[in-house]
This record gives sequence, structure tokens and C-alpha cells, in this order.
Amino acid sequence: MSSEDFRSLLPLLILAAASILLLVVIAVRRDHRLVYYLTVAALAAALAASLIPVEYSPRTASPLLVIDGFSLFYSALLNAAGLIVVVLSYTYLRPLREQMEEYYVLILLAVLGSVILAASRHFASFFLGLELLSVSLYTLVGYMVRSRDRSMEAGLKYLILAAAAAAFLLFGMALVFYEAGQLGFSGIGKYLAEAEALSLLIITGFGLIIIGIGFKLALAPFHMWAADVYEGAPAPVSALVATVSKGGVVAVLLRFYSEVDGYQFPVLALLFSIFAAASMLGGNLLALLQDNVKRILGYSSIAHLGYLIVAFLSGGAMAAGAATFYLVAYFITILVAFGVVAHLSSGEQEAEKLEDYRSLFWRRPGTAVVFTAALLSLAGIPLTAGFIGKFYIAAAGAQEGLWVLLFILAASSVIGLYYYLRIIMAMFASAKDPAQRIAPLFSGVGLLLVILTVALVWLGVFPQAMLDMINEWVAG
Amino acid sequence: MLENLWLIPAIPFAGFFILAVLGRRLPRVAAAWIGTGSIGLSALLAILVGIRYLSAPPEGYAFRQTLWQWIEVAGFSPSISFYLDSLSLVFILIITVVGFFIHLYSIEFMEADEGLKRFFAYMNLFVGAMLTLVLADSLVLMYLGWEGVGLGSYLLIGFWYQEPANGYAARKAFVMTRVGDTAMALGLFLLFTSFGTLDISTITAAAPQQWRPGDQLAVWAALLLLGGALGKSAQLPLQTWLPDAMAGPTPVSALIHAATMVTAGVYLIARMHAVFELAPSVMALVAIIGAATLLLAGFSALTQSDIKRVLAYSTISQIGYMFLALGLGAWSAAVFHFFTHAFFKALLFLGAGAVILAMHHEHDMFKMGGLWKKMPVTFWTFLAGSGALAALPLITAGFYSKDQILWYAWAGERGNSWLWAAGMLGALITAAYTARMVILTFFGDMKQEPDKRPGVLIKIPLIVLAVLSIIGGFVEMPHNMAAVHLFSDWLGTALPAIHVEESLQASEFLLQLAAAATVFAGLFIGYWFYLRRPELAASAHRSFAGLHRFWFQGWGFDWLYERLFIRPFTWLAAVNRADVTDYIYTALAKGNESLYHIFSRTQTGQLRWYAFGIGVGALIIITLIAMS
Amino acid sequence: MEEDMIQNEIYWPLVAYAGIVLLVIGAIVVLSYLLGERHDDKATGEVFESGILPTGSARLQFSSHFYLIAMFFVIFDLETAFIVAWAIGYEEAGWPGFIGALIFVGILLVVLVYEWSTGALDYGPQGQKIIKALQKRRKQQKI
Repeated sequence: MSSEDFRSLLPLLILAAASILLLVVIAVRRDHRLVYYLTVAALAAALAASLIPVEYSPRTASPLLVIDGFSLFYSALLNAAGLIVVVLSYTYLRPLREQMEEYYVLILLAVLGSVILAASRHFASFFLGLELLSVSLYTLVGYMVRSRDRSMEAGLKYLILAAAAAAFLLFGMALVFYEAGQLGFSGIGKYLAEAEALSLLIITGFGLIIIGIGFKLALAPFHMWAADVYEGAPAPVSALVATVSKGGVVAVLLRFYSEVDGYQFPVLALLFSIFAAASMLGGNLLALLQDNVKRILGYSSIAHLGYLIVAFLSGGAMAAGAATFYLVAYFITILVAFGVVAHLSSGEQEAEKLEDYRSLFWRRPGTAVVFTAALLSLAGIPLTAGFIGKFYIAAAGAQEGLWVLLFILAASSVIGLYYYLRIIMAMFASAKDPAQRIAPLFSGVGLLLVILTVALVWLGVFPQAMLDMINEWVAG
Repeated sequence: MLENLWLIPAIPFAGFFILAVLGRRLPRVAAAWIGTGSIGLSALLAILVGIRYLSAPPEGYAFRQTLWQWIEVAGFSPSISFYLDSLSLVFILIITVVGFFIHLYSIEFMEADEGLKRFFAYMNLFVGAMLTLVLADSLVLMYLGWEGVGLGSYLLIGFWYQEPANGYAARKAFVMTRVGDTAMALGLFLLFTSFGTLDISTITAAAPQQWRPGDQLAVWAALLLLGGALGKSAQLPLQTWLPDAMAGPTPVSALIHAATMVTAGVYLIARMHAVFELAPSVMALVAIIGAATLLLAGFSALTQSDIKRVLAYSTISQIGYMFLALGLGAWSAAVFHFFTHAFFKALLFLGAGAVILAMHHEHDMFKMGGLWKKMPVTFWTFLAGSGALAALPLITAGFYSKDQILWYAWAGERGNSWLWAAGMLGALITAAYTARMVILTFFGDMKQEPDKRPGVLIKIPLIVLAVLSIIGGFVEMPHNMAAVHLFSDWLGTALPAIHVEESLQASEFLLQLAAAATVFAGLFIGYWFYLRRPELAASAHRSFAGLHRFWFQGWGFDWLYERLFIRPFTWLAAVNRADVTDYIYTALAKGNESLYHIFSRTQTGQLRWYAFGIGVGALIIITLIAMS
Repeated sequence: MEEDMIQNEIYWPLVAYAGIVLLVIGAIVVLSYLLGERHDDKATGEVFESGILPTGSARLQFSSHFYLIAMFFVIFDLETAFIVAWAIGYEEAGWPGFIGALIFVGILLVVLVYEWSTGALDYGPQGQKIIKALQKRRKQQKI
């Protein structure tokens, strides 16, 4: 292992070392603020390290990991999302009666797992990263043991279902290994390219791997856990589930598929098409009359991952770029949305009912405007990041002639508009007693939300810089 | 300097936002001056840009400024760009300079009105939208500006909304122009399907290659665009909204319904001349519509008693001249007439506004009279404007522009004697109703004492515009008088020149004499009937009462449309009270709701059920793979 | 066509096996239903165990500490297995292997310290806590 290998692996090393260091710090002295600052520093350092070593990539750092523009871009994205979640968590956790310090260790480990996924080129690192991510998330989802009942319930559900899905994944890997005799992605790709006739087993193996991935991405019909987990988990953790956990899996899916050229199997494309269609329709329909904002966001994440799969399916030159851009837009948007939920939650009580948001605009105009921007972006209204993302997907899909899926995308977006507008309407409904206007609290979280909202609009108005960056780093 | 182009529309928009957001907190005077100052600043910039453009013309005589490129995905790259060539430069100069003086005038005119801040906010919005319209580089942005000026016009016609009639007039204007706008939107779709872009310069460059003259598609595109132009410019058959639009404050009539917005149709056709030239039949139609409109509106103007309605019909008539010129292919002549018309018609409206203000909002000319001694500045400037409207030979701007149109109607490659005759008859009527208007308002017996003298803020715009109405025409002279072709040379960089039949060159002087004689004849008719022998006018009025009423009501178009469209439509609406088509959408919504309820059943919250879901998914996958 | 035939030949025993399984299960269920005795007396639904009626729930709550200890044992046991595996290949792994093992042991150490300090390793009754609780109670009683 040369020093350059070492440097290119720096994002991973920083995260790993920081989580060990945090354990030592906690062992010596429990201090919420100190742990928080250390976590922020670690994630910021990992973010910076992901952006710096681009000159000497791509680099296969070991048989397991590859550090190239793609994995560095995803690493930066995941670290940034983790950073934002940590900042959101700090003020959210303070009034609670939990032991908060381990929470940050777990977030670091979840991000680490996700970054490993983004850099993996081997079934071993794939599974390792996935499990590191999942195990951290089980605990994080159920973290509010003392404050809330549903947190524990959600954690347990997630644990059992994810374990089941992981079993399918592992079995799929075993089947592929049985046929191909390879665990590395490129080795499998080579085997597939050279093999004359492919047995049913290897395709079944791929199918079972798709179950594992579909579960993580909450694609229908593996989506049913999503709403319960989003609802039960603390709001910042819901944000983490929606961003970091999905981002890493999307990255590994993109890389795996392009390395083994999964597009050569029409049956897998059919499977993904079915899942995408079911997710888009199912997610949006399930959210239609839902009264719980966290559940709405959960269902909407099902639909959004369905959209993303359309981009992924297009398979053309634009697939990776479109999917990645969509992911970036979705990250920013959903972080704002859950940030608002976390921001409005106070101690024991989460602001999750639609009623909690009624006439919010008259009480906290700034927060309401920020949330409105996020919801409009989720709905894909022009001049928001969400619109550009959707447009890019439509362009990629149209190029490959995925008309049925695009039609479903358009139709389900209209359904989606309904429930986003329901929240917005509730926020702008006139207050019954106008006296209770709360003076806007200027806080770090507020500032963060404003910055993210600006980024969201900025991406909607001037998306070209981000598109160029993605094309250079990811697709190039 | 050219880089500051974007500021020209941006400043009025900024003024609008300031007034809209901070309006309540600003003192009235400040609001008025912000509204006026923004246009003034914009005018100053426009002049500077114009000087820079003329002194050092940009490459190809066109300057493009891309403000914002949105995305570039799969060959789709929408952007917002402004395009400055001599055509748009003429328009922005007129819009900002005339607009500035009208704003200045409004400060005094609207002084006592409680909606003053709202007024200036709307006016700034309108000017911003109008500038966007003329500077737009693509038809999409132009359409945006097009709808923006429609909105501004709607808001300002219905400015005094407490009066239901004003609201009705605003609605009428909006709906009538929407009819045209819809046609225009269809035209844009057609152009987009043909060229794959709505970029104006790309279309004008590609059209001659892609279409042969007289091509079906070219004819349709030109026809649909013409529909939009007819609506906005109040030409036959969509002209009926403009007389009613006089319900707005008089400065609004001067700015929107005389100088700027109503000429947007002229601008559109001139801008898209490449498409129109490929559709000769549509060009002929434009000329015929122009000729018919100018006559129809002229006759109606002869019978009106409301001074603003006279001016409204006169505006329709003068735009008819511009359309006539467009139809002849005399692009620069049309724009030249727009140029002079903007000065003198704005002046006439402002003068009329000063009179109306002095007479306690009295609009009826028959209740005025003898005002020339009491309001000298208003009178003399009004006289200058009237001279230009009547095209008084040699000394007024209107003469030069109108004469050019008449000349091309006779001698142009597409001209013919019928169009020329219509133009001449129109000139006669114009002179007659102009004389009638001036005489009824300023001469004869005084019927009511004016009690309010116009102040300095009203006088300055009147004087400036009067001067411009006189000298504005000297930039372009008939060939046989002087070799001054500044205007057509200037526009020649953007618009093709018109060819003149060589054999007819000699007759130019004769035609000018005929035109001059017609003007004097018209003036004499006005003088004879309304000053010398008023009883003649009264008896003519009696003996032709039916015709008078017919003309007075604008040739019965309102009556016709009422029966042809409005009543069937309201009848249909009444029949369809339950809204049958809505059932489909209600059913769709209900269907989605019941799907929600069905799907929600699956979210039991039970772990075993969720695990079952995963199992079913696995089963689907394995079945599908096994079947393949 | 031929491939299909081959595939059919390969799969038919599987299909036959599945069919037999279904048949047997179905037979058991149906036969027991048909042949089984049916009566509904007073004590039919009762749980019977050595003639004594059960009292209370069978679901007792054990202190979670026991699970924790068990888990620690499994985890450290597995880690030992790793180290043993490394020790066997000590020669082949060389310096990189040594450094890797060092990091691994270091992490183990940190985790041990962490567990110790958070009290995860204290099991059984905790004397100090009991004494504190007693003192508190006494104070309350005095007041």
C-alpha cells in the first residue's frame, strides 16, 4: 500500500479513525458538545479529503475498493449529507433524556458504510459496507428508547426486515459466485462477457441481489417498512435514512450494473421497470390523503426512488449523470424537509401531524417559506432543483424510448403534487388567533436551512455548473 | 454601454417591486417619483445605448446579451437573452422616452387619486413587460412580455375598479386580446414543430430555406401570428375592445392604448417579416385588414362625442395605416409611422387629459368649447398634435410618415390603386374628424369654465411631445424633397427595403399634392360643418340618424359579437351549470382516493405482513426470471 | 426446442417432488380432519400439564444484562478467531499483516475501554447504587 493509496483512501480512514477516537472520548468523559464538534470536524475533513485527491484518481486501492471520480463525488455527497444531519441532530437531541454521544458514533459509521458502498468493486466490500450502514441505522432508528415508543418499534421492524433482505442479497451473491467463480465486479463482468450460455442460476442470483438493493431503496414491493421507519425514527435519522443510506446503495447499484453490464438482461430491465412503476404509483398514492408529514415524506421517498430508477434504466450515456443529479437534488430537498420537521420538533413532541403545520406561515414565516420551497422542489416545480432533476430524467428516458415509464412518471407526479400542495395550503391557512406569532429564532439550524434552500433554488436556476461537475466526475 | 442593455427592462421591474413591496410605507410623493424615476433612468440608459449603437454599431448591427442559460440537456438549452437591433432600439427609445414623459405627467394628473401608488406600480410593471417584449430574443420570452403587457393593460383599464363598467371594459380588453393570443400561441407551437426552436433569429434565418413562398405551413404560421397581432393592435375583427379601454386613467390611454402596447402587433409582424414574406396571401390580407380598419375606425371617429373615444378610434385607424404598410412590405414605413404616431397620439391623449381634468372629468366634447384662450399651452400643443394626426403637409411629422405609406400603397411592389384610394379616403376622414375634435373642444362658445389650470408637470410633457410631433418627421423625407433617409437607412440593417415600381417614380410629386389637397379638404369639411355652419352638421345628423348610430357604435361589431358569441356562450354555460366535463376529473380524483384507501390497507404496521411483502417480491422476481 | 427438453428433463424430478410434498401435506391435514375426534367439553381448551393448571405468563423478563454479556462473549470470541487466523498466516502476511493486526487489536482495546467505562461490564447487583437508593429512602422517611 503506497502513500498515494493511503491518501486516496483518506475519506474512509478519517471516518473510521474518528469513530474510534469518539469512543475513547466518550470513555473518558461524556460531553455532548465536544462529541458534536469532533463529529462535525471529522465529517468536514472527510468531505474535504473527498474533494482534494481527485488528481491521482482513478485508483484501485485494493481488490475491494476503487477510488475514482465517481466514488469521490459520492463520498463528498454522502459526507455533506451526514454533516447536515449531524448539525440538525444537535439542537434536536439537546432537550431529550437520552445518552446522545453514541448517536454521533453511529452516524459516522453509517456514513462510513455508505462511502464504502460507493467505492466498492467487490461483493465483500459491498456486503461489508451495506451491513455497516444497516447496523448503524437499526440502532439510530430505535435510538429514542426513553422518549418515544414508536422509535423502538421502528428500529426493530427495520432490523428484522433488513436482515431478511440481507439474507436474500447474500444468497444472490452466493449464486453468482457459484456460477462465475468471482466476487469482484469486473471479474463477474468478464465472466459474463465470455460465457457462451448463461445459466438461470446466475440471473436468479442477480434477481436476489436486486431484492437486497430494492429493500434498501424502498422500492415497491419492498417498500412497506419505509413509512413506519420514517415515522418512528427521530427526524434527523429519517433524513439520514432518506439520504445517506439511499445514496450509497444507488452508487453501488450504478457501478455494479455498469461493470457487469446488467443492461444485457432484458428480464432484469423488466423487473426494474415493474419496480419503478409500482414505486412511483404506489408511493404517491399512499401519500395522497396521509395526515402525518413524516409518513408523507417516507412515501414520497418511495416515489422519488422510483423516478430515479427510471433514470437508471435509461442506461444510455446520460443514465449515471441523470441519476446522480437527481440524487443531489433529492438530497438537498429532503434534508430541508426533514430539517424543518426537526427544527419544529420540541423535546418529546415531534412536529409530524399535518395539524402542527396549520397556519405555520403566520407563526414562523421563514420556516414556512423554506418548507414550501422544499415541497415545491419535491413536486418538481420549475426553478427548483427537483424540476431540473426530473427534467434530466425525462430527457434520459426519452432518449432511450422509455415512454410507458415516462408517462407513469408524469401521471404520478401530478398525484404527488396534490399532497405536497395539501401541506403548503395548510401552512398558509389563515391563523385562528393571529396573536401567537412567534418571533423568528435565529439559530444555526435556521441558517443551515436557509443555505440549503438557497442551494435548492440555485440548482434550479443555474444547474449547469453542477451538471458539468457530475459529467466530469461521475459520467466521465 | 451595450452590456447595460438588461438594465433597461430591469429598472422598471425593480421600480414595480419596490412600489409593490414597500408601497404602503412610502409617502405618496416618493412613490410617484420612484415610479417616474425608474422609467427616467431606463430612458436615459436607452438613449445612451442608442448613442453607442449608432456611433459604433456592433457586429452585424445586432447585439445579443445572454443573461441566463438555464440548462443544456439533450440539445435543449433554454436561455433568456435580449436582442438589440435597430428595430428593437426604435421601440425601446419610444417606450422609455414617451413613457417617461407620460409618467411625469401622471404625477400631477393622479395627484389627488388615492390609488396613486398602485397606479405607478402597475405602470412600471407595464413598461418592464413591454421592454421585455421588444427586446426578447426568443418568441417564448416575447410571449411572456406579450402576456405581461396584457396583464398591465387589464389592471390599468380597470384601475378605478369601484365602477363596475370599468371592470367590464378591462375584462373585455383582456378576453378580446386573449382570442388573438391563443392564435399566436398556436402559431408558436407550429413554428416550434417546424424549426425545433423559438429563437427568433434562428427562425428568420431558417424559414426561407425550409419553406418556399406560399407554402401551406408558412401561410398558417403567418396567419396565426397575425391573429395575435390583430388582437393586441385592435385591428379588424378584434378591434372592439380599444374604445372601451378608455375607461382607464388618461395617461394609461396615452401610454398603453396609443403609444406602445397596441403597436406590439406591428412589432411582431415586423420582427417576423421573414415568415410573412413567405406567405404572400397573408401579406395581402394584412394590407386589406389595415385598409378596412382605417376606414371603419375613421368613420366611427367622425361620430363620437367623447373626446377619448375619438382618439381611440383614431388610434385604431392609424394602426390600420401601419398594418397597411406592413402588408405592402414597407416595413420601415410602418415603423416610421409608429414612431411619429407615438409622439402625436400620446400628446393628444395627454392634452385631452388636461382638458378633462380641467372640466371635472367631463369627456363630452359638445359640453366643451372655447377653451383656447383659457388653456393656451394645452391648446397650442394639442393643435400641434392634431396637425400631425391630420398630416398637415410639410410642417408635421405625421405628414412624412403617412405620405410614405400612401406612396408605397401606390408605387410599392405590392401596392395597388384600391389600397391607395382607401388610404386617401382615410386621410380625408382623419383630417375631418381631427378638425371636428379641435373645433368642438377649443373653439365656439364656452359652455363650462375650466377651473383647474395645468401645472408645470403637465405642461412639460405636452411641450416636449409637441416639439417631437413637429420635428420627429424630419429624419425621413420623401425622395423628391430632400435626401434625408436616416430612418429607413437605420432600419435597413434589420428590415428589408421595399422595391418601388420605376415607372411610377415620376408621379410622386403629383401624389403628394393630392394627399395635401385631401388633408385640406378634410380640414375644410370639419371647419364648414362644425364652426361655420353647425346647423348643417345637426341636420346631417338628423337625416342620417341610422347611419350615425351605426358608426357611433363602431359598425355594430359589439352587437354582432354579443349575438354571435356571448349569448350562445352564456346560454351554454347556463345549460352546463352542473359542469359535465368536470365529472371526468371528479371521477379521476375519486378513483385516486379509493386507490389510496385500498393501498393504505397494505400498511398494517404488522411486521409479518411486511415480511410477506418482501417474500411476494422475491416470488415475482424468481417467477419472471424462470419464465424468461 | 432441444434445450427446453433438456431443461424439462432436469426439472421434472423437482416438480414431481414438490407435487409429492403437497400431496403428503394435504393428505395429513385432510385425513386428520376427517378422522380426528371432535368434542367440545369444559376442559378441552385448557392447557394440560401434569394435572396442574398453569398460573401466570410463561414470558418472564430476564435482565438484559445477561444478553449483553452473551453478546460480548460472541463478539470477542469471533475477534479472537480473527487473530488466530492471522497468527497462522503470520509468515505470509508479513509486515502489512502485522500492522493490520495491530490496528485490529488497538480497536479491540478501545472498545474494551469504552465498555468498561460505560459500565457495560458491571453485572450483578451494584453495591453503590443500592446503598445510594437506601440512603435516599431513609432521608425521605425522616422527613
